[in-house]
Amino acid sequence: MTGTIASLWEGRVEIRAAISQLRRGDLDALSSLIARYQNRLYRYLLRLVRQSAEAEDLFQQTWLRVAEKIRSYDPARNFDAWLFTLARNLAFDHLRRIRPESLNEPADDDRGTEEKISRLPSGVTSPFDQVLASERANRLGAALENLPMIYREVLSLRFEEEMKIEEIAVVLGAPLSTVKSRLRRSLEQLRNILETEQGAGAWQ
Amino acid sequence: MSRTDEHAEIREQLSLLIAGALDADAEARIARHVATCADCSAELAGWQRIGGGLRRLPTPQPSQALFERTRARVIAQMEAEGERRQNRLTLILVVFFSWAVTILAWPVFRFATGGFFSLLDMRFHQVWLLFGMFSALTWLAGGSAAILLSARRQNERRLAL
Repeated sequence: MTGTIASLWEGRVEIRAAISQLRRGDLDALSSLIARYQNRLYRYLLRLVRQSAEAEDLFQQTWLRVAEKIRSYDPARNFDAWLFTLARNLAFDHLRRIRPESLNEPADDDRGTEEKISRLPSGVTSPFDQVLASERANRLGAALENLPMIYREVLSLRFEEEMKIEEIAVVLGAPLSTVKSRLRRSLEQLRNILETEQGAGAWQ
Repeated sequence: MSRTDEHAEIREQLSLLIAGALDADAEARIARHVATCADCSAELAGWQRIGGGLRRLPTPQPSQALFERTRARVIAQMEAEGERRQNRLTLILVVFFSWAVTILAWPVFRFATGGFFSLLDMRFHQVWLLFGMFSALTWLAGGSAAILLSARRQNERRLAL
């Protein structure tokens, strides 16, 4: 535990040092930052746009934007949230141009609640008890792909990027209550997809 | 609150619980309920599998080529930006120097032609007027050329994108 905290702290110190070096124009610091964030940033962009070519292009644009704006970045701010906000803005601009319908907020109806009530377990045995881990990951990944973009985004930020709710609110530019309700709806919808669209035994 | 209402309320919050979006009091309340309710416990286990599954989804890896391309593009942009900053600084220095030369030229000329005491003669002279007009014309021509060149360069940059 202490080791994990120490390693996290060390990571943050390294990031701060790399940022201040980059602000002075140090190109090695740039490589270090790209290497450190490349997997997370690429995964996030891929979750948003779903096409690897588009994600790669946005990945490059994000780092170009970082280089452009790094002098105006406030070191007191959380760098992760700042970086992901830049990436998000670029991805949204891109989607607005080529697939505007993908940005539509899903209708907030009562369907989820009804399905949830009808799904409540009637007996002791859960329908999820006997799933193989790898198969579950594939199905889960496929179900995630089927969610609307804003739901994929919030799930990715919370569960894959492991951002705090407050950090997600910064990235989304939305209040905490919106983040929470979006998280709840996205999880509900994900579970509904797993249980209904992929067949009764899909998540067992 | 009836037991049924409590079930419904607890289940409403289970997804937020596994997302870590509840406060400590709500978490404790759910933990107390789940400890005595098999149905909610099973429901929670299902949510936990989903949460765990999401956390363990395989991470798509960007290629090394993407890393190199990105690095090269950013470096090129930073160098271009550095050059632009340098040019801006040079331009500012040149303008400052030109102004200094323009302002100093007249007293130097007066000193060279009339000696030190001519500098103290502040009476209006026709040559002052000519000097002022010449300076204004020069700066007007230079400023117009700079604006035209800058607009042209911006246009070229916009077309290049």
